[in-house]
Amino acid sequence: MNSETKRILFGLYDDDEQVLDAVRKAKSDHLDIMDVYSPFPVHGMDEALGLKESRLHIAGFIYGALGTLTAFGFMTWVFTRDWPIIFGGKPYWSVPAFIPITFELTVLFAAVGMTVTFYAVSRLWPGAGNPILHPRITDDKFCIAFDTTTCDEGEISRLKNFFEATGASLVETKEVSEEA
Amino acid sequence: MNQFEFTSRQKRTFFIMMGIGLVSMLLTYFMDDHYKHLRFWTNYLHNTVFFAGLAFISTFIIAAFVTAWAGWYVLMKRIWEAFSLFLLPAIILFIPLIVGLWLGWHQLYIWNDPDVVAHDEVLQGKAGLLNRGWYTFGTLLIMGLWYLFAKKMRDLSLEEERNGAGPDFAYHRKLRVWAAAFLPIAGFLSVPLITLWDMSLEPHWYSTLYFWYTGASWFVSAMAVTVLLLFYLRSKGYFPHITDEHIHDLGKYVFAFTIFWAYLWFDQFMLIWYANVGEETAYFKLRRDFYPVLFYANIFVNFALPFLILMRNSTKRKVGTMVLVAIVVVLGHWVDFFLMIKPGPLMEAQHLAGEHATAGFVPGFTLPGLLELGTFTGFLGLFGYFVFKKLTEAPLEPANDPYLEESLHHHA
Repeated sequence: MNSETKRILFGLYDDDEQVLDAVRKAKSDHLDIMDVYSPFPVHGMDEALGLKESRLHIAGFIYGALGTLTAFGFMTWVFTRDWPIIFGGKPYWSVPAFIPITFELTVLFAAVGMTVTFYAVSRLWPGAGNPILHPRITDDKFCIAFDTTTCDEGEISRLKNFFEATGASLVETKEVSEEA
Repeated sequence: MNQFEFTSRQKRTFFIMMGIGLVSMLLTYFMDDHYKHLRFWTNYLHNTVFFAGLAFISTFIIAAFVTAWAGWYVLMKRIWEAFSLFLLPAIILFIPLIVGLWLGWHQLYIWNDPDVVAHDEVLQGKAGLLNRGWYTFGTLLIMGLWYLFAKKMRDLSLEEERNGAGPDFAYHRKLRVWAAAFLPIAGFLSVPLITLWDMSLEPHWYSTLYFWYTGASWFVSAMAVTVLLLFYLRSKGYFPHITDEHIHDLGKYVFAFTIFWAYLWFDQFMLIWYANVGEETAYFKLRRDFYPVLFYANIFVNFALPFLILMRNSTKRKVGTMVLVAIVVVLGHWVDFFLMIKPGPLMEAQHLAGEHATAGFVPGFTLPGLLELGTFTGFLGLFGYFVFKKLTEAPLEPANDPYLEESLHHHA
């Protein structure tokens, strides 16, 4: 496992509207944003950054359908083949009685599956390193970060001018080591 | 284009629709005189309840959104205000049913027949609510009260439009009080009305979930009608500030309340099916045995279709899928009400006449026929005419609502 060091230039903003405007300006200036960090989801940020729609919900649908089939199939097998018991004079294969459990398992499979998938895709697991650029990003500041590892002086000063023009309250550079 | 113009072409269309309705109702009345023109009266009740419910639930929607401090809906609030004012014509539509109850024009409700009640202990026990007096004054007073609230909320909204938001948003603060007061009134007083109008068609049967179920059906229909009307008005160039984001949220409401409706449908069904008490299962046995097509199609059309189509994000933002789902849902819930209202009176009437309940096809009862659709068209024309008339009375997009900015910048 070789580790790689990134030099990151970031600016902090006080307000979600401000950071949204800054991202739009960066896009129109063709600046290559590495990432944006915020303490809460900012409406309209996905479009401003030009992010593709997440495919997580497709995974969610598949997990959900899997849950439906698992529950319904298992109950069908148990109550018609494995251990048929009559409950309340109902037929062995009592579909209405299966529905609540089928519903619960659909929700369970979808929820757990999506959570695990999300963590796996985000490479978050127990013990995963999570370098943080500035503690206040987790509190009340909004951050735009640029990867400046391969940038020359001219590009860096251009980025700094950008932060100044868009009203960043703090601009810093930080070395972050990332396992590659 | 903020002032809605009711063109003569639209008026003509609505009058033609009303004409179709009138002709259909006359034909139904004179072509079928079984059981005191039961087909005509059930059709009339069916559509009156459906459209009165749209008006009622729109009043509820406004009240709920105002109380919840919602902002996104403000741009389209005139539509629901116009819907809610239809409560007044709805009261008038109920008058023939009420007069008929006193003068014996129809035999929709067997609890109104003294000979039947005299030999029926269950109906005697329920006579405290199921009687002409309650039906008459319950309908008039409760719907009158609802209309009072709808009118008051509309008036406050219009005053705000004319006079500005007022010092410290005075109009909106007043609106909040009226809206919050309406919520319990809507909740508690809809129960006796739904009991009297619909549930007492089969007076031996009762279900405590029936009111929620009816309300959910109205809610989905009202949202779907809103979607259709919005798309129509937008295609005419009105509502320039309503974006895909607002449509998306309406789509979420249709989606969510479709699930809510299905949840209530299944709750009501499963508890009765599981407990297997004869007097409770009668309702579903009647429908499953004699109305199997509608009974199963109901779940498929009103749950499976909108659920699967609207599940994706993108389908809630596209005109094609939203219009398709809205039409399916409005017709689907109209048929849902058909299935709630039609089987009971026919069964009771056949029982009263000493006939066996028919397992075969009974036109206008087993399935909605052309005359039923014609009657629906007529009521739709009346509803549309009234709503369009009300839309001309105020600018479509409100100017002084305190939440206007939030609605303009809404992001789903």
